[in-house]
Amino acid sequence: MKIRKMKENRTSSIIIHNVILGILAFIWLIPIVWLFFTSFSAESGINTNTFFPEKWSISHYIKLFHPDTVAQFPQWFMNTFVVAVVTCIISTLFVLMVAYATSVMRFPMRKPLMNIAVILNLFPGMLAMIAVYFVLKTFNLTNSYAGLIMVYSASSGLGYLIAKGFFDTVPRALCESARIDGCSEARIFFQMVIPLSRPIVVYTVISSFLVPWMDFVYAKMILNAGISSKYTVAIGLYKMLDKQLINNYFTQFCAGGVLVSIPISILFVIMQKFYVKGITGGAVKG
Amino acid sequence: MKKKFLSMLLCATMVATMATGCGSDAGDNDGGASDKKTDNASSETVKLTLWGAEDDQNFLKDVVSKFEAKYSDQKFDIQIGVESESSAKDTVLKDIEAAADVYSFASDQLADLVRAGALTNIDEVGEALSKSGKTLDDVKAEHAEGAIDAASVDGKMYAFPTSQGNSYILFYDSSVISEEDAGNWDTLLAAADKSGKKVGMTLNSGWYNASFFYGAGFTTGLNADGTTTMDWNGTSPSGYKGTDVVKSMLQITSDSAFKAIPDGKISDNIKSGDYCAVISGTWDAGVAQETWGDGYAAIKLPTFTVGDDKVQMHPAYGYKLEAVNAYSKNAGWATLLAEFISNEESQAAHFKSGVQIPTNKKALEDPSINENAAVTAILSEAEFGVVQEVGGKYWDPAKTFGEMIAKGTLKAKDDKKIQEALDNLVSGVTAPLS
Amino acid sequence: MENQTKGAAAMVGGFFRALGSFFSGFGTAVAKGDIFVKLSLLWWGAGYVRRKQYVKAVIMTALEAAVILFTIFFAMDYVPKFGSLGTVRAEKVFNPQTMKSEFNDYDHSFMILLFSLFSFVVWFAAIIVLMKNTMNVYKLQLMDESGEHINTFKEDLVTYIGEKFHITLLTLPVLGVVVFTLVPILLLIFVAFTNYDQQHMPPSELFTWVGFTNFITLFGGGGLTATFGYSFVRVLGWTLVWALFATFTTYIGGILLSIMLNSPKTRLPKCWRTLFVVTIAVPQFVSLLLVRNFFADSGIVNTICKEIGLTGFLHDIGLVSTNNLIPFLSAPGWAHVMIILINIWIGVPYQMLIATGVLMNIPSDQLESAKVDGAKPFQIFVKITMPYMLFVTGPALVTDFVKNINNFNVIYLLTQDVYTTTNQALANSQATEVDLLVTWLFRLTQDYYNYKMASAIGIIVFIICAVFTLIAFNFMIKGDKEGTYQ
Repeated sequence: MKIRKMKENRTSSIIIHNVILGILAFIWLIPIVWLFFTSFSAESGINTNTFFPEKWSISHYIKLFHPDTVAQFPQWFMNTFVVAVVTCIISTLFVLMVAYATSVMRFPMRKPLMNIAVILNLFPGMLAMIAVYFVLKTFNLTNSYAGLIMVYSASSGLGYLIAKGFFDTVPRALCESARIDGCSEARIFFQMVIPLSRPIVVYTVISSFLVPWMDFVYAKMILNAGISSKYTVAIGLYKMLDKQLINNYFTQFCAGGVLVSIPISILFVIMQKFYVKGITGGAVKG
Repeated sequence: MKKKFLSMLLCATMVATMATGCGSDAGDNDGGASDKKTDNASSETVKLTLWGAEDDQNFLKDVVSKFEAKYSDQKFDIQIGVESESSAKDTVLKDIEAAADVYSFASDQLADLVRAGALTNIDEVGEALSKSGKTLDDVKAEHAEGAIDAASVDGKMYAFPTSQGNSYILFYDSSVISEEDAGNWDTLLAAADKSGKKVGMTLNSGWYNASFFYGAGFTTGLNADGTTTMDWNGTSPSGYKGTDVVKSMLQITSDSAFKAIPDGKISDNIKSGDYCAVISGTWDAGVAQETWGDGYAAIKLPTFTVGDDKVQMHPAYGYKLEAVNAYSKNAGWATLLAEFISNEESQAAHFKSGVQIPTNKKALEDPSINENAAVTAILSEAEFGVVQEVGGKYWDPAKTFGEMIAKGTLKAKDDKKIQEALDNLVSGVTAPLS
Repeated sequence: MENQTKGAAAMVGGFFRALGSFFSGFGTAVAKGDIFVKLSLLWWGAGYVRRKQYVKAVIMTALEAAVILFTIFFAMDYVPKFGSLGTVRAEKVFNPQTMKSEFNDYDHSFMILLFSLFSFVVWFAAIIVLMKNTMNVYKLQLMDESGEHINTFKEDLVTYIGEKFHITLLTLPVLGVVVFTLVPILLLIFVAFTNYDQQHMPPSELFTWVGFTNFITLFGGGGLTATFGYSFVRVLGWTLVWALFATFTTYIGGILLSIMLNSPKTRLPKCWRTLFVVTIAVPQFVSLLLVRNFFADSGIVNTICKEIGLTGFLHDIGLVSTNNLIPFLSAPGWAHVMIILINIWIGVPYQMLIATGVLMNIPSDQLESAKVDGAKPFQIFVKITMPYMLFVTGPALVTDFVKNINNFNVIYLLTQDVYTTTNQALANSQATEVDLLVTWLFRLTQDYYNYKMASAIGIIVFIICAVFTLIAFNFMIKGDKEGTYQ
């Protein structure tokens, strides 16, 4: 009698628990769902009357792939992809290099450099933007993807902390014995520490790959020639919401948003696994 | 071994980039300073960038190809970029040297652009026009009255006018509101109330809400140092008090048939079908026509009641101007292109493609102009419309002031508060530039 | 454990000790070195020639030549003008023959500032190299005298993947940070002491040094508009409130969500987690702009609220001034709350991921024994989970707070062009109630070209962040776990 009651209690609490989760997930997903449905609206402006579109159509997706002077989505996608790949390679290298140097190696300037990194991270990045612009301009790198890539990746070394945390957990004894065996630091780095740190490498790769897809402030500033075919996805979509354009392009904006979100979501879902592992590794062991 | 090589390679590229980087900018700088070398103009390709609004891209492409055809003995490389007239100043002033050689902007940005030295004084490069077979005086004479003034500061011409009537009028549904009712706010609101529909206007923008003050004879202006002058907190030359104008505005906004529309949301709101009259510009003519069908009509702004008088609202009446960048590498050709965009043929084409009202006298004679209700209404405002002369400090305080009226933060009975708000507005607008 | 009590002071102290030993090392080298070591001060390659390291000698000589050439052909164009930031204004004459405008050799204040700074950085680096070089050469001398083996160039190179591997690793990242972060930051610190604003905009105008005027203005010392000081205090206040709420709501929310997801009662935990993660995978500029339209005055939420009568109800209890719409993002108060709520929406999934990672490591024996003792879930949360989380993620919490002070995206994307203030004092200084210091300074630079005030505000933001970080780190467990867990 008693046991059955307890069991009932358990099942009902499980149901309640999952229902609460369901409600939360529902709240969290409403805007995303709205984005998704609105992108299939036949209207081109904002629908303010109903949650679901009144008329359905995929015409705005089709329009996205038939570029006009405003929307050149396939081109933007390619641009962003190229920028993202190069950014990703450079950033990942930089982050891992700095993380290894500060975590595994010991040299006199180590602490001062780390402290300087902390201090630099306290400055509002927005402010440095205009100066960055002029630095790029002097090197003739405005309105070029090289400039954009540099902005995204040059300072990426500052974001080394998570990776360092992970490297910290790689057993020191391993490295020591390798050193005694006459391995160079470079070999330890490439052949021992990196392979042991797959979660954090994947995490760094994906997160740096995502930067160009998300940023609109720097991109808008650097690609300032007004040539739409040179935009990245972020500025292209952002510009669709200009006062003059929003009424004709809002649904296209939503459609573009959905299309960008799909690959990013997939990467994110992959990343979260490694992220959790990376953090775990980085935080504490034992 | 391979990895060692890689790291060496990295270092080498770094050194190389550093070296080339420094080298190139030193070279750049020399180039900038010693543009004096005299090249043979006709043999080298002239590179120009041209910015125009989104809707004008196709029009500009046509104009550019005609321009290239006209000067076929010169090689061109003309790139067209997107930059709307309303935001041109913001983009240009971020980096004048990187801005387009020729770009279009709204006349209210002229003062700031001139102050920043962003515009070429057309009088100084006028000689370049000789290639087109015209003199600068010919060009000036081609344009309707007021257009050249709107493109000039202190008597110096800084841009070519391309269109006029960057202003606003009253669109209404004639099946609900008679033309007579549309002439005055009181009758307009009463008629709207009867039909259960609304009258909409943007108040939280210094471009729209100034029309009440300009109508009552108040002014704004620019000082030589770039600061703005404003007399709205006093008594206007026509004898109206600023507080009374605000009270009349509050009278309107407190009417249940009135609805203040946030800046930039007008077309959305027209579409909703809740309105029977809306104040907006030619760009919303299409939406209004769609919504009201046969009832669609357009007329000059209504009068409003101050005390016992009926006072005509005077809208800000702007022009669109074609600028030549002061730091253009090819100032001469840029001037020719800007002039070409503003000539009769181009203006006529622009009217056809984008309903931009010509400033060119001959282009204005086109009968099709009078067939467009919105355009006729706008042109009827030309005589009393005000070319808004304000500096950058005007917009935020004026916007907030409009918002206060729209939200009812001010009360019509509270004279002291109204006066205080007007004083605040004036002190904000007339503050030193930085 | 000593690390934990070691505060910032120790950090600074250590830095100066290192600096001191560096200088004394250099002093010894110069004093005790032979003629070639001393000659190395002038000709960087000298010492290496003496020790027959010819390749190194060539490299150092080339480097020295590069610095000298840089100084003569580049730095000298700008550095001498650093004191005045330029005196020659741009003038031009149109030449009808060439169809071009001819400019005089004008000064560009910003370029002078930037390139002078750049030169200073290069010179600073050159001096360090010079000192280090002298010490190296002296070391070679000592080795030579005691008959030790002196590395060949090839052996030297090998050290760069061996014990000097950190140099190989760090050179490029540090260079990147110097050019794209350090120089810009230094530059803007300088700009805060100039009058670089709309009236002094290069290339057409020049700007110059003005000392502390901008800071005096910022703290209400008049000059600009009387309201600037007032606006600063208002914006600062909201910035701190925002940072506090934004940090703690998402932090606690993330932990709670992660506990729920990881509870054994949860069916298909991975599925749930993915659903939440998807919301942060949509780029912020898409999701936030969307949410903004969602909650707009004439947006879909308002339409629904009106239909179900919520607007009318809120109007009746006096929370909304009209019965037409709820001013979610357009009235102070409402907008503040909505921004924090929307930030929860964005931030909680992130924190959930971090918390999931950390919570997996809670020593399970503690949890078990607590359960055996009959502790309620809430007690476990307060007594075990939270302290553990705080212990592990404390430093991250501080960084989050600083990040939120500088959280540009959320505020900018939600309020730009939508929120209109009715506070005239704020409007007269181009601020709004919902502005953070960063969004305010962004607007000052982008729309009003008021770079000098923006820089001054930026420095204040930095000081606030720095002070906060130092205090927090001194109170909390210091983020220095490396020794403990290796």
